[in-house]
Amino acid sequence: MSQLAPLMPYHRVNILTGTRTARLVEDPVEYAKQIQKAQRPLLVLGPRLLKITLGERLLIEYALDIAKAKNIPTCATATVKSKMVELGVPPDSVYDIVEIVNALKDPNWRGVRKEGNHDLVLFFGFRTDLGEQGLSVLKHFAPHLKTMTLCKYYYPHADFSLPNMRKDEQWKSFLEGLIENLKKE
Amino acid sequence: MAELKEITRKLKEIHEKIKSEIPWEPIGHTPMPEIADLRNWDMKLLQTYKPFYAPFCDLCCFCTYGKCDLTEDRRGACGIDIGTQQARFVLLACLMGCSAHASHAGHILEVLIEKHGPDKKINLGTSVELEAPNIRTVLGLKPETLGDLKIAIEYVYKEIAHLLDSTHMGQEGSCLDYESKSLHAGMLDHVGMEVADIAQIVGFNYPTSVANTPLVDLGWNSVDKTKPIICFIGHNPATSTVVIDYLQENNLYDKVEVCGVCCTALETTRYSDRAKVIGPFSRQLFYIRSGIADVIMTDEQCIRTDMPQEATKAGSALIATLDKVMYGLEDATEMDTGEIVKKMVEEKKHFAILDGKKAAEVAVKVAMAIAPQRRKQWLTEQEATELAKKCGLCGMCEQVCPNLFDIGRGVNEVAKGNYEVIREIFNLCVGCGKCEEECPRNIPILKIMQVGASKETYKIRAGRGPIMDTEIRTVGAPITLGTIPGVVALVGCSNFPDIRDLAEIVDEFARRKYIVVVSGCTAMAVGMWKDADGKTIYEKYPPEFDAGGVVNVGSCVANSHISGAAIKIANIFAALPLRANYEVMADYVLNRVGAVGIAWGAYSQKAASIATGFNRLGVPVILGPHSSKYRRLYLSRKDEDEWKVMDARKKQIVETGEPSPEHLAYVCETKEKAMVMIPKLCIRKNDTPQGRAIKLNHYISLYKKYMGGGLPEDLPLYVRRDADIPLVYKKEVKAYLTQIGWKPKEPVGLPTLIGTYPTKVPVDSVIH
Repeated sequence: MSQLAPLMPYHRVNILTGTRTARLVEDPVEYAKQIQKAQRPLLVLGPRLLKITLGERLLIEYALDIAKAKNIPTCATATVKSKMVELGVPPDSVYDIVEIVNALKDPNWRGVRKEGNHDLVLFFGFRTDLGEQGLSVLKHFAPHLKTMTLCKYYYPHADFSLPNMRKDEQWKSFLEGLIENLKKE
Repeated sequence: MAELKEITRKLKEIHEKIKSEIPWEPIGHTPMPEIADLRNWDMKLLQTYKPFYAPFCDLCCFCTYGKCDLTEDRRGACGIDIGTQQARFVLLACLMGCSAHASHAGHILEVLIEKHGPDKKINLGTSVELEAPNIRTVLGLKPETLGDLKIAIEYVYKEIAHLLDSTHMGQEGSCLDYESKSLHAGMLDHVGMEVADIAQIVGFNYPTSVANTPLVDLGWNSVDKTKPIICFIGHNPATSTVVIDYLQENNLYDKVEVCGVCCTALETTRYSDRAKVIGPFSRQLFYIRSGIADVIMTDEQCIRTDMPQEATKAGSALIATLDKVMYGLEDATEMDTGEIVKKMVEEKKHFAILDGKKAAEVAVKVAMAIAPQRRKQWLTEQEATELAKKCGLCGMCEQVCPNLFDIGRGVNEVAKGNYEVIREIFNLCVGCGKCEEECPRNIPILKIMQVGASKETYKIRAGRGPIMDTEIRTVGAPITLGTIPGVVALVGCSNFPDIRDLAEIVDEFARRKYIVVVSGCTAMAVGMWKDADGKTIYEKYPPEFDAGGVVNVGSCVANSHISGAAIKIANIFAALPLRANYEVMADYVLNRVGAVGIAWGAYSQKAASIATGFNRLGVPVILGPHSSKYRRLYLSRKDEDEWKVMDARKKQIVETGEPSPEHLAYVCETKEKAMVMIPKLCIRKNDTPQGRAIKLNHYISLYKKYMGGGLPEDLPLYVRRDADIPLVYKKEVKAYLTQIGWKPKEPVGLPTLIGTYPTKVPVDSVIH
């Protein structure tokens, strides 16, 4: 699904290079369609979700809306679990980022709901450099799944990525559009 | 027959080198091991701790067949796949690191043999009889003189050449074999580092057999700016020690300030406690650009490659003192001293001077001549505000920041007279200067950061070298029983996500009575913090290698004393012979010594090889978020993997179901996660119930503190019987265990991997 297009990531110093780069998607309808198509998606949540506020809401709240809209299982990394418990939505699983990526690499892994490994993994809320390295692992060693990012930066190693968004309003509007579209179907 | 002859000849040669006729201990199975000799041990480790590759790039561009695209099961023109290419890259990184230390060791050894002669006795004081645990374990040699250390370093050189050969196009085709070679390189690195530091301690008369080494000044403001200032940058003290000698011999030491950045600073304070430590590598460019150093003297390793340009910009004089780094400068080694000084003062020329004595004399004379003419002041807030006003908030600086920080906002706030944000950014800054390079309006961002930099003077304890045998005798039992919950070694470079994390980690674990050991740039970073009483970590905690102590072993090469301490526990406390007995030592450390390394800011290839050496010895290492860029981790999957060990007393293989230690090389994204991983990675199968309960008490309590409550998800895996449950959490843990249907299991009497894989080592070798 990735494309041969040498787009520039936002944080250029850390995550530049590659021949296979992510398909850049700006339309939330298209993102929603890709998620709808997946049989067993997984949403992996990073610590930056607890630090960033978009509009009046913490980013984790957008993430939980996305999970809820399509009953997507969640994986909490770092310190995310405690906030989810506080919000009354405990995660389906707890792994740190390298651990969940390590498990996802294995096509025979049973997945967080023991229903089989996931076919689409959405990453949200990680340092761009660490996130990109995790995506690289899956790009090279997990051909059985696709990856998607929800942060406001372009991630070359993902299969689907948002573009670099200078304005937070653009990002907020994308996430709201995505949640809206996921709820529709 | 010819083959047998060759083997016999080789063995004879090895036995001559390690002086096998001296019967200080029986010789083990792997004297001076070559690439394949410890391969089975490596493969056993790699079976549980599988390499986890995160390619930085899709391509291989090593030879003219390429660039080869290695995506989607493609192979390079030589046949290599993406995983093996990563492993090859990691081996190259480990070799760079290992070579840096080995070359440092070789050079310093030459300098010191020249000074003292090859027969100079190795004497590390009355409390360090086991002087070279790595050399003794790996080679089987007990070095008695500086000349003996040459045998060790020549062995390392030879192995490096073989390993480097294997990375040539079209050879090794297995990622696991490349990993085994990386582990070999890592082990060699600890030998090389040990050679370097023993030589330095003996040759420069550094402190040894003492814990309470002097507290020396730390921080960029610790230096008296009114005096001429000579700043050393790098790792090799061959010249800095001569400068101190020159100043003392000429009664100038009161008139000239001597300081350093990175490990040469640490080395110099071991030679003279009047020398000052500016800070870690991440403060190098910041300090150079401040222009406060009159003369900069570089030696080797972590030094910026654009030093001549930076020195010129700052108006500082530069002398390159080692042939590894000559910057294209004119080699003035044979030039007349007066002429060099004249050209440096009048023409502002920089030189390479490879003669230590001449370099020292020139440095002092130039510093004294130019210092009075130079303005050496920190930027004022008003000046910073004026400079910052040019910021257009274009965001270019943020895009190139390796720590992903919004620098522009900080600069913009300075323009408004608010210095708080830039103060915060300075703590996150790794000092690369990319922001300034990218700024379209040429704002001197690092200079502006001077208003955010603390002007405090801190204290760092001078590096003390080896852990004493007497200390090992005291802590050996509590460490292996688990009643001292662990040895936490914070090592490595300064590519931290936040410089303050380090002191917080040290404070947390020293308070909890772990033994904390620090080295290198990390030793400096942990000192740059004061508690509410104004005390640094080094003033707050005792310097002994004991529960609750904080020990600074010294520079990068002193990391060998940390691996050495682990070996000493097996040899001194458990009385297992170490001579050429690497597998037994590593097996003991892996299964019975609750030690963990934290390389929170690792960036260098040296950090890669040091960590990989620890891994081969059975010590797990936690890395900071930047270290995912090393491309390789060693991870287990606790739910999927087997956790079988041999019970050496019963001679039975047992499935323990206990992932201890869970990983060998692991990246954490946040400090909070590291706080929880540290106690977990100190758990060992050998823990007594009392020891395990103490370790789990810390694991649970840190989990509650940093992960926001509840119990760790994997806690049941580490509870063997009721007695393992810490008293304070008994009710909560028991309720949880009952809920999930936990069943007790028998602890293993004497856990070992020996006997679970093909090895010449008999199981009885691990029984003491």
